[in-house]
Amino acid sequence: MVNHLLSRESKGPTGLILAVVALMVVFSFLNPRFASVENLQNVLFQSSVPLIIVVGATLVILMGSIDLSVQGVMGAAGMAWILITPNTRTGLDYGVWAWVIALGTGVALGLFAGLIYERLKVPSFVATLGTWYVGLGIGIMLYGNGLLPSLTNEALARWPTRLTLGIPNSFWLAGAVVVVGLVIMNYTRFGRGLLAIGNNEAIARSSGISVSRYKIMALAIAGGLSALAGILATMQLGSGSSDIGSTQLFTVIPAAVIGGTALSGGEGGVLRSSLGVFLLVILNNGLVLAGVDPDYQQGVFGLILILAIVTVAWPHRNRLKVAK
Amino acid sequence: MKTKSLLLAGIAASTLSGAALAAPVAKEDMVLVVSVINTTNPYMISNIEGGKALSEELGIPLEIVNSNGSSQTEIAGIMSILASGKTPIMFVNTVASSDAPTIVDAVKQAGGYVTIWWNKPADYKPQDVGDNFVAFQKIPGLSSGACGAKAIAESIGGKGNVVLLPGVPDSTTSKTRVAGFRAEIEANWPDIKILDERPSNWDPQLGARNAQDLIVKYGDQINGVWSADDGMQIGAMQSFENAGLLDKVKFASDGLYPKTLEDIQSGRGNNAIVGETFHRGYMASAVGLYTAYLAATGEIVPSELSDDKRESLFQLSCVTPGNYQQYLQYDEPGAPAAFVDRLVQNGPWATDPMPLVGGGRADASEW
Repeated sequence: MVNHLLSRESKGPTGLILAVVALMVVFSFLNPRFASVENLQNVLFQSSVPLIIVVGATLVILMGSIDLSVQGVMGAAGMAWILITPNTRTGLDYGVWAWVIALGTGVALGLFAGLIYERLKVPSFVATLGTWYVGLGIGIMLYGNGLLPSLTNEALARWPTRLTLGIPNSFWLAGAVVVVGLVIMNYTRFGRGLLAIGNNEAIARSSGISVSRYKIMALAIAGGLSALAGILATMQLGSGSSDIGSTQLFTVIPAAVIGGTALSGGEGGVLRSSLGVFLLVILNNGLVLAGVDPDYQQGVFGLILILAIVTVAWPHRNRLKVAK
Repeated sequence: MKTKSLLLAGIAASTLSGAALAAPVAKEDMVLVVSVINTTNPYMISNIEGGKALSEELGIPLEIVNSNGSSQTEIAGIMSILASGKTPIMFVNTVASSDAPTIVDAVKQAGGYVTIWWNKPADYKPQDVGDNFVAFQKIPGLSSGACGAKAIAESIGGKGNVVLLPGVPDSTTSKTRVAGFRAEIEANWPDIKILDERPSNWDPQLGARNAQDLIVKYGDQINGVWSADDGMQIGAMQSFENAGLLDKVKFASDGLYPKTLEDIQSGRGNNAIVGETFHRGYMASAVGLYTAYLAATGEIVPSELSDDKRESLFQLSCVTPGNYQQYLQYDEPGAPAAFVDRLVQNGPWATDPMPLVGGGRADASEW
């Protein structure tokens, strides 16, 4: 099954796995604490939010579109969730309905973007960019000028870090999302349909795939997952903010591309994008542990990243989609 | 027509070696302008509150410019207000130091009056530009860092290890706060060691992530954590709490956000927060706008003011768990209006809790 999945993920991500392992070995030499159980748990914890987002982003990218609304949806859903979960500002507790409403907000924003994209034939870049700001606007409106809302329920605030079988709960959640994403991509008509659309929309259409419905569904799922990520990030921070998603977009899209998911669509997959997330998180974490001077950290980060990607992509350089 | 002739008079006056003065501007021709970096940060929201309070007090309409983090958006927004024909009385919280000259030049052309807060190039001085650039004002970052350093050092008995979470690395505000922290430790606390420093871009989540990495790296060697603002401290405290270390580590930062105040009051984490600083965005914008307003009405003549009133440093209060109560009044509903009342009575340089404490030195923007 694993082999099958790897081969399905376009040429197999072996090079990428090797790059991640090589980084881990180097960082372990630079600081033995890097390989400690504590730090591996830390890396898994930090990967959780971007992993959840990258699954949705990959579905959208595979069909040759893009979802830029991530941070806005996270802000709207995160604020919606915390304001109706025991918190220091409102005193409301909707229990499980808080999740339904927050996730529903994300799905609705995704549908909104999808309908504009598909029905009004606006490029996904523009439709989701607009949705980003609509989401951020909702987040800011909910945030208002009042007190920063913080979780008052200790159990909820601690849930993401608490360990189950040695692994942080937040990673179990992210892992489950990745597995579901893999299954959808590889074993459902919907998943294959998205790939077909990314490869050649005209052929996909003529072979009877309901392109329009698939596109809207993919954006709605991505919206739902961004919302889930927004809730998890809010729980991790213990406080709500309309900026809860800040900088995530520029972790997730590069992670997908680094993993080998082509922005032109039709190539790559959830597993590869997830490895891209690990590569970025480990690189950041390792540089801090290795004690790289903060003034140089960004520069060193970029150089190592380019080196890793060139090495991984070298055997496939003739087939890279980005030629210019 | 009247505005236009005033405008021409303004330009003519400023070309006459700055000694001759523009005629005072009538109230009904003025518009107050508050230009902020974004509208999500609590400090910026507070900047806007100050503008609203002064607008009500003086009966002059208010316009807000939201720069959305971009110098281009900021300058475009300001230009469109300048084109409206009214005389702008402005408070600008600049996105980047380098924006100040462009904005000031445009305001000068339009015959308006502007006070710049927080960021400007060090060698760009109101005294050299003329009366339209009324003043540059800020709260000294050096004092902020020093407050935090002293509070942490005292709370851990003058001995131990600390880590720092600065803001955006190239921001003057962050740089000066870090410099203040380091200077205080170097001068007075020989047994305190700074283990590491990780810029966290004023972002609570990045603060949390960097704190996690530092916990893994140094474990229980860390005795104190200083953050350049409360947002990052909120993130860092969550990480230490998750790691079960909150009870053993002391925290200090800048801003006294409501969440921070709550944590001080509740004694969260064995009284983890030991030092804070107090200043409010509404005070900065009200003082900045009111200074510019006085210049527009002719009640003050900027070129006749002493240097410390052109490049001004206002008092920053060090807050501790022992004295925080005296600052609660400034966050109550109606506090901006009350502050503005006192501001109009006492003038921009003598209103508690933010009186003028210095300035005018060559390097005021580096403080």
